[in-house]
Amino acid sequence: MPTIIFSLNDLENLVGKKLGLEKVQECAHLCKGDVDSYDRDSGELKIDFGDTNLPYLWSAEGFARFIKNYLGIVKGIPPIKVEKGQYEILADKSVAGVRPFIAGFVAKGRVIDDYLLKQLIQLQEKLADNYGRKRQKASIGLYSYKKIKFPIHYKAAEPESVAFVPLESDKKLNLLQIIAQHPKGKEYGPILRNCGKYPVLIDENNEVLSFPPIINSNFTGKIEMGDNSLFLEVTGTEEEHISIIVNIFAYALFERGFAIYPVNVRYSNKITAFPKLARETIGLDKNSVKSLFGLDLKQNELKTLLEKAQYSLKNSRIEIPPYRADIMHFRDVAEDIGIIYGYDKIDGKPLSTFTIGETSGMVKFIDKVREILVGLGYQEAMSPILSNKNLLYNKMNIQDTGTIEIEEFMSETYSAVRSWILPNLMDILSKNKHVSFPQKLFEEGLVNARKGSDIFEYNRIAIISSHETANYTEARQALDRIFASFGLKREIEEVEHGSFISGRAGRAIVNGRKVAYLGEISPQVLSNFGLEMPVCGFELNLSEMFEEIKKK
Amino acid sequence: MDMQKLMESLHPFERKVLPLLNRLNVLKELAEAAGLQEVEAMRALQWLQNKGIVKMAEEAAKFAVLDENGIIYSKLGLPEKRFLLAIGGKASISEIEKKTRLSKEELAICLGTLKSKAAISIEKGKELLISITPPGKNLLSKGFTEENFIKNKFPIAIESLNGEQKLALGNLIKRKKIVRVEERKTTKADLTELGKRLIKLEINGNLIEKLTSSMLKEGSWKGKKFRRYDVKVNVPSVFAGRKQHYRAFLDEVRVKFLSLGFKEMFGPVVEADFWNMDALFMPQFHSARDIHQGYYIKEPKHSKDLPKDKVENVKNAHENGFGTGSRGWQYKFDVERTKRHILRTHDTSISARTLASKNLKIPGKYFQMARCFRYDIIDATHLPDFNQVGGFVIEEGINFQHLKGLLKMFAEEFAETETIRIKPSYFPFTEPSAELQAKHPEMGWIELAGSGIFRPELVKPLVGKDVPVIAWGVGLDRLAMFKLGINDIRQLFSHDLEFLRNAKIII
Repeated sequence: MPTIIFSLNDLENLVGKKLGLEKVQECAHLCKGDVDSYDRDSGELKIDFGDTNLPYLWSAEGFARFIKNYLGIVKGIPPIKVEKGQYEILADKSVAGVRPFIAGFVAKGRVIDDYLLKQLIQLQEKLADNYGRKRQKASIGLYSYKKIKFPIHYKAAEPESVAFVPLESDKKLNLLQIIAQHPKGKEYGPILRNCGKYPVLIDENNEVLSFPPIINSNFTGKIEMGDNSLFLEVTGTEEEHISIIVNIFAYALFERGFAIYPVNVRYSNKITAFPKLARETIGLDKNSVKSLFGLDLKQNELKTLLEKAQYSLKNSRIEIPPYRADIMHFRDVAEDIGIIYGYDKIDGKPLSTFTIGETSGMVKFIDKVREILVGLGYQEAMSPILSNKNLLYNKMNIQDTGTIEIEEFMSETYSAVRSWILPNLMDILSKNKHVSFPQKLFEEGLVNARKGSDIFEYNRIAIISSHETANYTEARQALDRIFASFGLKREIEEVEHGSFISGRAGRAIVNGRKVAYLGEISPQVLSNFGLEMPVCGFELNLSEMFEEIKKK
Repeated sequence: MDMQKLMESLHPFERKVLPLLNRLNVLKELAEAAGLQEVEAMRALQWLQNKGIVKMAEEAAKFAVLDENGIIYSKLGLPEKRFLLAIGGKASISEIEKKTRLSKEELAICLGTLKSKAAISIEKGKELLISITPPGKNLLSKGFTEENFIKNKFPIAIESLNGEQKLALGNLIKRKKIVRVEERKTTKADLTELGKRLIKLEINGNLIEKLTSSMLKEGSWKGKKFRRYDVKVNVPSVFAGRKQHYRAFLDEVRVKFLSLGFKEMFGPVVEADFWNMDALFMPQFHSARDIHQGYYIKEPKHSKDLPKDKVENVKNAHENGFGTGSRGWQYKFDVERTKRHILRTHDTSISARTLASKNLKIPGKYFQMARCFRYDIIDATHLPDFNQVGGFVIEEGINFQHLKGLLKMFAEEFAETETIRIKPSYFPFTEPSAELQAKHPEMGWIELAGSGIFRPELVKPLVGKDVPVIAWGVGLDRLAMFKLGINDIRQLFSHDLEFLRNAKIII
């Protein structure tokens, strides 16, 4: 979720009214956000905005716009004025397979100070990072207008045919060198990894503006304090998407007192003018508001609520502000109506339909088995399901017979789904060597095993007992007690298993189904865990055992 | 205390030691005389002291102790004596060495000592030739006082030594590892006034120490008294078989939902992207998937058992809204991608499976408790896996008012409060979305639940029609931590056995 920083004073100036922190918090909540912090000395306000689909809120201007409508200072879609102008971007055919779309505008008439510059850069970064998917879908360039000569040419060029001095550098580099050497090239270069040619913006004087989506020129592509006009462009993969960004910026700069001049983008087959401020509409569905919130609102009440939420209502059609692209369904508008109406004003109603609470037989079975082990004096434990192959196999002295492994893990310790539980219990023993004996533990939980391209998920339970005289009999007694408690007959056969002492390991079989291993843990395994006390235990497949119980 | 009762409360060890206290007061001597191990006699004295019968004291005193060479010499004799004996009349140094098996160093010391006592004379030739002198012979017949000294029983209290012994000790201390002087503590116990009165009573040796089955069979217990215990004494700890603290908490949560009329749902840990993301109307390209960065698995990469009809419906919902009145996300849905296996990132995947199931009942109330996994650094606030509890209510005619009613009930049931705040919120699959904050009587405001009404683009493709579905997830870990009195979320899965054995039981 984006965190936006601005001053409370600035916000109040934009709204045209003193607000106070409490009002700001209330409004932040209505925007699905929260005040993260407020510094009383500097007046700096930090707000987290929770909805990743509402980028128009991610600036002091956007948030102020919300507040102005909410307080009724502005009604309906807020105003914007676009001047007349003849600025052009000529988009060459070569960009089609690289980064096909560009949009932009020119803003003039307000001196840019340090604070405003920071605000512009903040909005640029948040939009490119979150809404632009880390510049993949959209990237934004801001330029000092006075250094540029229109028209601007947008084309894809051979990587080594164009060179310029990028921001944060003092050397002239070609595009390939920028990708290889410049920090931004290394960070964002992968976006262009399948492109033979790279996109560039060049002005009429053949001066390079930028290499989108990587970096601007250090000469034209840098706004300095004291500038009073700028050029903004957005490049990306979808025209609708970059147009939203242009509109968010156009509104923000208009509200800062700039005059907005349009830019025509001329493709070989069409011309598009930006900012594109045509309003999309959606029908008003009164019944839907009623069925969703239980609110019976009159047309004029709905109109007021819609206008407070920055929509306009004309002839039962709702006009959507041009900086929003998140309205897919009337449901999205209805939510805004509900929010502005106030969730706290909507009554709560109890659910009145009678339903029966119910869980599965398996859950009940598991709980009974846990109770038996508690009765036998075993302490229950709980471990993460994520584990690693070293613990599951190497330390337990057995082969991997099929494991669910994570492709890209954060930490080697948690790189596979456990295929059995006994290793977790051994791990616990190894962490508690100083604690008084006997140590008797059990754990029940999920395990996953892979056989070829099939995945098997089971509930299993494992126990261990560690003390001077821990032995096969003890593990066997506990296992027998579980089978006896459910009246289930089992056979025991001898088995070779790397984790157990040869000749002291058994397998429990029910109706031909192998459901458990038990025995004395081999001294090799004990030493792998650094243990100096004998250990016995078993591991029982509860899922399979339960199936056999159900058959009876 | 009554003197008779006091007498009856004496342990057999105490009864053995008590009569000896008339004449003895040193622990070591008491143990020997009573025929007890020193630790047993020590315990007896401590118990007697607890009862006010004796007063114990520790006295420090200096003792002579045999060192490693001293122990050998006490058996074989001192080197200089063995040296003198080996000479016979006259012998070369190598002959002496052979006979005595003394080391070169010991031989050199013997030469020095014996020479100074004028016990030998030495001729220097190709090899040293040594002969015994009359004073030497005299010394042999009289015996060495040092050797007599080391043949005593050690340790010996320095205080008890006579003049000659003190001289011998003085000589031996200077030599290598024969004797050393240590300060040792002696435990002494003397009768108190109470003890002096008690000892005059007859000690009844006929108390029953332990009731046995044969006593019961024979009736031999009749007319006898049992030795009285000190019932206030501390006893060693034992540990109970116990359910794990956090799991026990989750068990209670399950019981709560069952009692509120919810049915439990289940789903696998390894899940297809379809159920984890796509069926929940989370677009394949969207940044909404950023907040669900998950663990994709190596093999098998793809699920084989997705329901074709539901996949087709979901594809349509993403691409064009599936006739719900929505324009959909308007992109080309990738059917291969939807099969990709991931460790479920949230419990809502189970809700999606239930909504698509033939067994779905409308009206119905459902809940799930699921282990989930996210790509995250593990620290005091993040675990490699975590538990989520969530679910949904599906019923014709329910709306946001019922959602509020439900959240209010959760606040009452889990946070014991009626003071709540409902905040607008964002989840990719609900519209409207709301967050429940509840004012817990002790914890203050806590975020207790996220909730909303599932989007029609989610419900219709899975259920077949658009029915109102209230979805919710409760965040109970903070509540669990508070109730368990722990600060670090990792302790929910603690591997510390002492912690597990002593964890607080929540009522």
